[in-house]
Amino acid sequence: MMRNRFIDLPLAAVAVLVYVSLYLPILLVFLLSFFSMRRGKVNWDTFSLSWYAKLFENDALGGALWNSLLVGSLAVAAAATFATSAAILVRSRPDRHSARLLEYVIFLPFLLPPIITGLSLLIYFREAGVGRGIFTITVGHTLFVSAIIYRIVLTRLNALSRNLVEAAQDLGATRIQTFRFIILPNLRMPLLTGGLLAFALSFDETMITLFLSGTDATLPVRLYAMMRVGFTPTINALITLLLGFSILLTVAVALVWRRNADSARKSYREGRT
Amino acid sequence: MTGYAPGAIVLWAICALFILIPLASFLAYSFLPVVDNAIVYEPTLDNFANLFSNSSYRTTFLRTMLLAFEVSVFNFVLGYATAYFIWRRPPAWRNVLVIALAIPLLMSYIIKIYAMRGVLGTNGLLNSALLAFGLADEPVSALLFNLTAVRITLSVVLLPFMVLPICVALERITPQVLQAAADLGASEIQTFRWVILPLSLPGAIVGAMFTFVLASGDFLAPELVGGIEGFTFGRLVFSQFGLAFNWPLGAALSVLLLVVALAVISVARRLSNPRWQT
Repeated sequence: MMRNRFIDLPLAAVAVLVYVSLYLPILLVFLLSFFSMRRGKVNWDTFSLSWYAKLFENDALGGALWNSLLVGSLAVAAAATFATSAAILVRSRPDRHSARLLEYVIFLPFLLPPIITGLSLLIYFREAGVGRGIFTITVGHTLFVSAIIYRIVLTRLNALSRNLVEAAQDLGATRIQTFRFIILPNLRMPLLTGGLLAFALSFDETMITLFLSGTDATLPVRLYAMMRVGFTPTINALITLLLGFSILLTVAVALVWRRNADSARKSYREGRT
Repeated sequence: MTGYAPGAIVLWAICALFILIPLASFLAYSFLPVVDNAIVYEPTLDNFANLFSNSSYRTTFLRTMLLAFEVSVFNFVLGYATAYFIWRRPPAWRNVLVIALAIPLLMSYIIKIYAMRGVLGTNGLLNSALLAFGLADEPVSALLFNLTAVRITLSVVLLPFMVLPICVALERITPQVLQAAADLGASEIQTFRWVILPLSLPGAIVGAMFTFVLASGDFLAPELVGGIEGFTFGRLVFSQFGLAFNWPLGAALSVLLLVVALAVISVARRLSNPRWQT
């Protein structure tokens, strides 16, 4: 690669600005939560204890956390089933016009502004007489994260050699056997990556959820309500906890992603030879 | 392969039930009038007439589109420079920098917006920096709860959506092409102008359009950092489902957003590399 300092220097300046602006605000929240605790004259030992006590005291937060975890798990399970079926269908006949159309429809809730996905579901459920709650939030999240799982699974299916499927069928495997013994084992890693990623997205989703949650608020919706009222130490504490959780998920996704890439490369090579 | 038809029917049924019919009912709602706080199921064009004749809706819409456009252009410049910088690093560095860009995407959206308050507030980081460098004599209160705060916040929060597609586009440029340009005696600037830029521009345009769609429909950032001045179209729509409680008008207002989003998405699909779609 050519090196030219007159080009690299201004580029580096912009890049530094970008990375600082991405990370500094988050870092500041960590510090602010730390300082607010200090002002409250809480020392380090009781710091975490009182913090957890406060979280457990707040029933609304506990309920919101439970709702978030419940919705996330249900949405990931539903989206994995739906998106994988769709990916297998599209992969089996990628040239069909209907396959393209199906793909476009699946991407819609992800590509459209969340406000539109949210309010169209709100209107739909109201007209259908379905009350707002865990079910409606789960449907919203399922649609939102399906595109991600679909994308990851389809990429893996495309890397999978068609010879494998044809070989299985030549050996007399039924379609169900082919799926169970050939396709599914190869989808373990992408499903894990996609599932984790989808769970992280669902856990953070706020805009669609605001339309679909009645009294069953998820954690971000609860947090949003608190933020609108003002700054309290609880917000900073809660944010620290949520960020910790997000970082854990990120690390998990990154680790699985690497193994996924390795196994994809391996099977691609196997498919070629 | 044939015979997947029953599966296809089930998948289409799910799509219809949870994606297409909700979108259709949302569109249908935009034509319904509200009389005495009750929805009347007789389609009219009243909401749209209201939408186009009411000057405050019009200005809010135009202001929001301008805001989204400004954020897209600003991020286009920042994002391209950053992606180009990343691309010029050795591969090991590149991976680290790209991962560092992707990590904020997995952080909660409202947490990032809330965090910007700490930067933009009167006692915030930006003010402290301005005071420390002698750029201001007293804290600037004009940084938070206005349209500028929304601009800055949306820019920061949406930056990864801009940089990552450009990184992907740059990554796809094969070394042979650059080699050929060098062999033919192109200078670095010529190579950039005639080879790198044209090959990476589709990715950059996709990023800009993503940024535009997300910025134009957002209501959380304006709500949390925009104050009264930072009233955007997204907030206008959202308020119809809260205080104003005029769902059909809210639906009509967002039809406008939908039309803009669909137009932008279809252009982005056309411009994006066809390989992305397979």
